[in-house]
Amino acid sequence: MSDQHEGLENSWREGARRAGATYARRRISIDPVTRLEGHGKIDIFLDQAGEVERAYFQVPELRGFEKFVQGRPAEEMPQITSRICGVCPTAHHMAATKALDHLYRVEPTPTARKIRELVYSAFMTEDHALHFYFLGGPDFVVGPTAPAAERNVLGVIGVVGAEVGKRVIAMRRRLREEVISAIGGKVIHPVLGLPGGVAKRITPELQKQIREVADEAVEFGKFTLQLFRDVVLKNEEYVGLITSDDFTHRTYYMGLVDDENRVNFYDGGIRVVSPEGQEVTTFAAADYLDWVAEHVEPWSYVKFCYLKPVGWRGFADGTDSGIYAVAPLARLNVSEGMATPLAQEAYEEFFETLGGKPVHHTLANHWARVVELLYAAERLKELADDPDLTDPDVRTLPTEVPTEGIGVVEAPRGTLFHHYWTDERGVVEKANLIVATQNNSARIAMSVDKAAKGLISGGEISDGILNMVEMAFRAYDPCHACASHSLPGSMPLLLRVRGPDGGVVERLRRDSDGNVSRERP
Amino acid sequence: MQPAEPARAGPSPDRSHPLDVRVLCLGNDLLADDALGFRVARALRREPGIRGRGSVDIVETPESGFALLDHIQGVRRLVVVDTVVTGRAAPGTIYVIEDHEEPEDWEAAPGTSAHYVGLFEALRAGRAMSLPVAEEVVILAVEAADVVSVGGCMTEAVEASLPAVVSQVRALLGK
Repeated sequence: MSDQHEGLENSWREGARRAGATYARRRISIDPVTRLEGHGKIDIFLDQAGEVERAYFQVPELRGFEKFVQGRPAEEMPQITSRICGVCPTAHHMAATKALDHLYRVEPTPTARKIRELVYSAFMTEDHALHFYFLGGPDFVVGPTAPAAERNVLGVIGVVGAEVGKRVIAMRRRLREEVISAIGGKVIHPVLGLPGGVAKRITPELQKQIREVADEAVEFGKFTLQLFRDVVLKNEEYVGLITSDDFTHRTYYMGLVDDENRVNFYDGGIRVVSPEGQEVTTFAAADYLDWVAEHVEPWSYVKFCYLKPVGWRGFADGTDSGIYAVAPLARLNVSEGMATPLAQEAYEEFFETLGGKPVHHTLANHWARVVELLYAAERLKELADDPDLTDPDVRTLPTEVPTEGIGVVEAPRGTLFHHYWTDERGVVEKANLIVATQNNSARIAMSVDKAAKGLISGGEISDGILNMVEMAFRAYDPCHACASHSLPGSMPLLLRVRGPDGGVVERLRRDSDGNVSRERP
Repeated sequence: MQPAEPARAGPSPDRSHPLDVRVLCLGNDLLADDALGFRVARALRREPGIRGRGSVDIVETPESGFALLDHIQGVRRLVVVDTVVTGRAAPGTIYVIEDHEEPEDWEAAPGTSAHYVGLFEALRAGRAMSLPVAEEVVILAVEAADVVSVGGCMTEAVEASLPAVVSQVRALLGK
């Protein structure tokens, strides 16, 4: 290994020498060889001394979406957008449906609105459960310092036990089959939302079934919060990591809130708070272009969202920089509480433990997600118990001529905007989507940058960089590839060190057993 | 807290698989070469020898990762059809991966996902929890050229691989 380090260092020196004044940067790429959900590519630019100048998180982008939807009836958007995204189809379906409400200037009936929010609450519960136990779990249930070979799903099952694993899977299955599919058709191809309402009413029999699932979901949420307390909060090492400066950025936050500034996933005003926790604004979805702007960097096709009135000041945090975050931590930061009792208690415990609002620690997203899981389950129960749920009036027929429609929901990963422009027949002329992760992209880039700077010094690359960089962005639950699943489904992380001529001088590869191997071509 | 040993052997798995074979076709018919799985499913349903065989099930889905757990249970044998982008072979190249090869022996197979778990991890997790996941898994993966163009057609090379993939699935079902 020491020979390799020396070789690497020599390569760097040689590269720096050849680069000269006109080629001051070299580039390292961490590049998955296959695509998968949430896959990303990390580019690390080094200066001549082998120090990190800046690291960037890049994501693949679907091409041709705008062209594909042009000329299609707007009513197809809830189906098209949910089919493109295999990860959170329900979020796209709901944002699209709300954009259609706005497009046709029609309000859903009270019952239709409740049915939508009920389905959405079931979705948030099951998606948050998936992330907490199986996706974020390797970092927090197994532990950030555990050997890499154990930081995987099997490791999580090893800690929580096979029975708990089975319970998570059974809970998700019930929510998906007995609530979401029973009301809205297949989870992957929902057909629930229509402008002005929903396609299906709820029978008393179905309501009874949903109530049973909702009861179980609330118990599951309580159990999950207790498990988080037992496994994570009782471990000082974890709490220390959550609050460490390495994973902290003082940015703005954005999220949907109800009339009393409490977290809401389905509807409300979009509230923004400053890094000091002061309210900046609460704006309506239709005004999002006054608040959200997109910055373009020459090295990336990713558009970095920022707050328009504050402005783009580069990849920096603080009050002068318009960078903001969305997702569970942001939602808790922008709100003044939760609308359900158990989640409210969990919310208070969260801020008391972490030193008050706002919390700037990225890794606190995992905890915030558990608080939200409990809220989603409690809200599901409230709606399931609502006597009006079986009211047959589930549709207001649109009569207005369409022109433009904007819809917003809180996806599990953060605020999701859909915006369509149509002709007078409702045929789409143009569409704009801002997905949750795009809102977070600048802050994710900052997190990756911080992790890289902590781990690369003087041209020496630590084996731990792959895991640490992963942890930096996994807390955001990033999702970009709105349809990826291709085999093998999980990602060998490759980090490539490139010389000034573009050739690869060294590869680091982290394999399925967690081992990192180095190779010089 | 020290992490416990990863769970490997739990209580005896439930081996009562109601189905003998499932062909699980993964993909997305809106995304160019990614439509392959759906096209294979459609072609298989037209095959006279397959249609109507009670013990064979053909499923197509755009889901991935843990969502696949629902599809890999309740069946003895699983044949998975999917696309793969390794960049190491010509588009249209067909890989056949047997379950016992996963994942160490397959070069393109993976480390821990940055975010989601994949099919292999879903299988291993299912086994660790003693869920009735498939006992045998064979994967047919086709090297794709374009999986990000919304509404795009399959590329020529991947389109051309379709009959060979269907015939290989047939051969596997005949086993």
